Amino acid sequence: MNKPRQITTLRAVAVMSSTIIGVGILSFPRYMTEAGNTSAPFVALSGVLISFIIYWLLVSLCQRFPQETLFVFSRRLIGRPLAAVFTLAIMLLFIVLTGLTVRQFGDVATTVLYKKTPIEATIFLMLLISLLSSRRNVLKFSYIHSFYLPLIVGSILVTILISLKNVDMLNLQPVLMAPGVKFWNGARQATYLFQSSFVVVLLIPLMEKPNHAVRAGAWAIFMSGAVYVLIVIASVGMFGAEETKLLIYPTLEMARSAAFGEGFLERLDAIFIIIWVISVFTTIYTTYYISAYLLHKLLRLRDQRMASSVLLPVMFILAMLPSNVFETYRWSLHLGNAGMIMMLGYSLLLWTVYLIRRHGKKVPS
Amino acid sequence: MQDWKDKYTSYLHKQQASSPQPASGSQLTGNLKTDIQELLARLGENGDLVVRDFQLFGTHQAAMIFFSSLVNTEQVREHVLKPLMARPSEHPGMPDQAAGMTHYIWSTVVQVTQGTTTADLSRLPPAAVKGDLILLIDGVPEALHLDMRQIEMRGVEQPQTEQVIRGPREGYVEKLENNLSLLRYRLQSTDFRIEISPLGTRTQSRVALCYIDSLADSALVAEAMRRISMIHTDGILDAGYIEQFIEDQPLSPFPQVQSTERPDKTVAALLEGRVAILVDGSPFALIVPALFNQFFQTMDDYTERFIMGSLIRIIRLIALACSLFFPALYVSVISFNPELLPTDFAVAISGGRAGVPFPAVVEVLIMEVSMEVLREATIRLPQMIGGALSIVGVLVIGQAAVGAGLASPITVVIVALTTIGSFATPAYNAAIALRMLRFPLIILSGMFGLYGGMIGTILILNHLLFLESFGVPYMSPFIPGKWRDLKDTLVRAPLWWMRRRPSFLHTQDSDRLPRSVPSRAIDQILRQGDEKNE
Repeated sequence: MNKPRQITTLRAVAVMSSTIIGVGILSFPRYMTEAGNTSAPFVALSGVLISFIIYWLLVSLCQRFPQETLFVFSRRLIGRPLAAVFTLAIMLLFIVLTGLTVRQFGDVATTVLYKKTPIEATIFLMLLISLLSSRRNVLKFSYIHSFYLPLIVGSILVTILISLKNVDMLNLQPVLMAPGVKFWNGARQATYLFQSSFVVVLLIPLMEKPNHAVRAGAWAIFMSGAVYVLIVIASVGMFGAEETKLLIYPTLEMARSAAFGEGFLERLDAIFIIIWVISVFTTIYTTYYISAYLLHKLLRLRDQRMASSVLLPVMFILAMLPSNVFETYRWSLHLGNAGMIMMLGYSLLLWTVYLIRRHGKKVPS
Repeated sequence: MQDWKDKYTSYLHKQQASSPQPASGSQLTGNLKTDIQELLARLGENGDLVVRDFQLFGTHQAAMIFFSSLVNTEQVREHVLKPLMARPSEHPGMPDQAAGMTHYIWSTVVQVTQGTTTADLSRLPPAAVKGDLILLIDGVPEALHLDMRQIEMRGVEQPQTEQVIRGPREGYVEKLENNLSLLRYRLQSTDFRIEISPLGTRTQSRVALCYIDSLADSALVAEAMRRISMIHTDGILDAGYIEQFIEDQPLSPFPQVQSTERPDKTVAALLEGRVAILVDGSPFALIVPALFNQFFQTMDDYTERFIMGSLIRIIRLIALACSLFFPALYVSVISFNPELLPTDFAVAISGGRAGVPFPAVVEVLIMEVSMEVLREATIRLPQMIGGALSIVGVLVIGQAAVGAGLASPITVVIVALTTIGSFATPAYNAAIALRMLRFPLIILSGMFGLYGGMIGTILILNHLLFLESFGVPYMSPFIPGKWRDLKDTLVRAPLWWMRRRPSFLHTQDSDRLPRSVPSRAIDQILRQGDEKNE
């Protein structure tokens, strides 16, 4: 009854977009304005473009091996030991990424809204639901994302629309300033949000049309990129660049000031946070899932349940390691750098080997 | 007739003697006396077992054996005994030898529609237990068993659990034949297949698997058959027993098999390409695969015009969401995020809660639990007492609890909305699932506020997304979704617009209506008018 290739292109788009839209959405406008003042939307936009290039570099190679995941064909390209080392590195990257993301989430949740909930409980619950959901196969994984994506994107767009009436176009000018080092640094930071689009590697062998993977990524990255850029435009337009720099969570402030229905609900921010919890869940779920998947492949376990259970304490400890918000932020910047360098390096390495081998002798693909 | 004392002593004797079991599979000997004895030994001592010896056509010794509780004795007398006891002069074609007698009797004498001849003695006791009459003739090593089963049954009534405003009023009864006839007369198609086989080593309940041959996915039919064939149990007393043996996830609170009392609903499901399972003795049919979507649909949605049907379905969904989320939302907003409420309202609520000694979560839990108790109590009681109890319950929960300072008025409102909301879900088993799931949600919300409620909701939603019923994802047609399948979900599209069958059922014939022809009368009339004008 079940076909082996069931993930449609649309669903792949959903998985990537809901993964990309995540914890960063609250503070994103601040980084962007710090990097580019009023040209913040362009910083975000260039970030989107750069991330797509990185994505394209990796996935266009993966498309050439539509039957296998990256972790399988890399063994044939660069040999078993080296491939295992890189897989391990990617796994560690995603484990740390999960830990830090969930920590960032906990920080925001406890300081802003759920003040009475201890941060340990917040983090643990979030990791727990990711654990419980990570025990299923990739197909079910994609169901989850395609179910939540409309909720996430829809409500963010509604919030932006409501706050658009408070936007002052003057705040957005001058639209473009001469890009400097700061500008490109900001763009680079923006790409970190898009790193989890790596998840497509798991999906390709199950996709109905594996050769649409790049297209799916383009849709996903540009759609979620559009959401991010819109948020930047809305918050800069609302508060002005200087004010946005001072706000820790400009998006939340934006939602807060957007009253809805003249007093039906006093404030929208709690509703916004609810949706944000879902979007954070989908992000953490993806990184958790990738980590569990890789661990289960590396240790050759029979199924993923064991792997995902083992990861929970590791990630919890990682999440509790940073002593404060700033340390979390600094660590995640370092992690983003490391991730970007590794992904770029790995893709280039694989490409080089692939091209050399293809010229030498045909690689069966 | 023995009295009870004799029965007791003879029973004790028998227990001590523990006679050896007769070997099974032995053949009939042809000697009437020994055959009867052998048969009686296998059937055991029973008060309702009748052995009637008589002279067959005045010439041969014969006997019939049957259970008077399963067989209509008047019919036995009229259609079997009377012709068999006729004088030989009335049967000029009667064979001289005893050997051809069974064939002669079966083909010319008894007027019974179903029966078999067998020489195998071991097949007779099960037949007798099923309601067959066994005819043994002296000198013939063969027995004739005739289906004389007749069981008194209640008549077809309106279904108790699924009432409709508009639509057929017939519901299933316990007897399988009646239920199948209710189906057959609605579905007069040569493609309609009913497979019947006994199940349960001791009860031998007959289980019927119904499907439409040219529609239902053969993999689905095969899977249903495979799962039923894997049931090993001694007794099937209701369709619910089967449900528990064949469902995908026994630990899930959500039902993965739909049960219905309505033949029209069953036929509608069969026409969509689903499979129905009926059991003798149960007034419920099981429908597989069952999806979440089905549990808030009723027959009324389809019999009423589509706008009404859609609106009512949306109302029902709101009620369903209320019954699950309302108390949890209330608890988390009151105890963690009161700033979300408009100020005047928040003040009013806290005024109402002023005298209540418990935190909101305890208060809501107390009220919800007592409401559940009240509901459960009224369901089991006879109607007269039930009414009295609900009045007491309403007074206690509504008025007195507030007066005594146990609960605030707003809590009573919330609990009432929740309970009413849960009653608006048409499928009883799905409603229970949602009602029970609201308790963990309340507790999570009481502990972690909106965040806890959110986590609980995500868990429930993820569970629903992971669930499958007979290989079909439980949340289809939402996820994995197809646009055309969404016509019969939150809203119910007009019947003439739903031209295709649900794609997730992989039916062999995907079209309900022919594609090109307009199916509304008005379209065709207008088209004819246009042609005339030209």
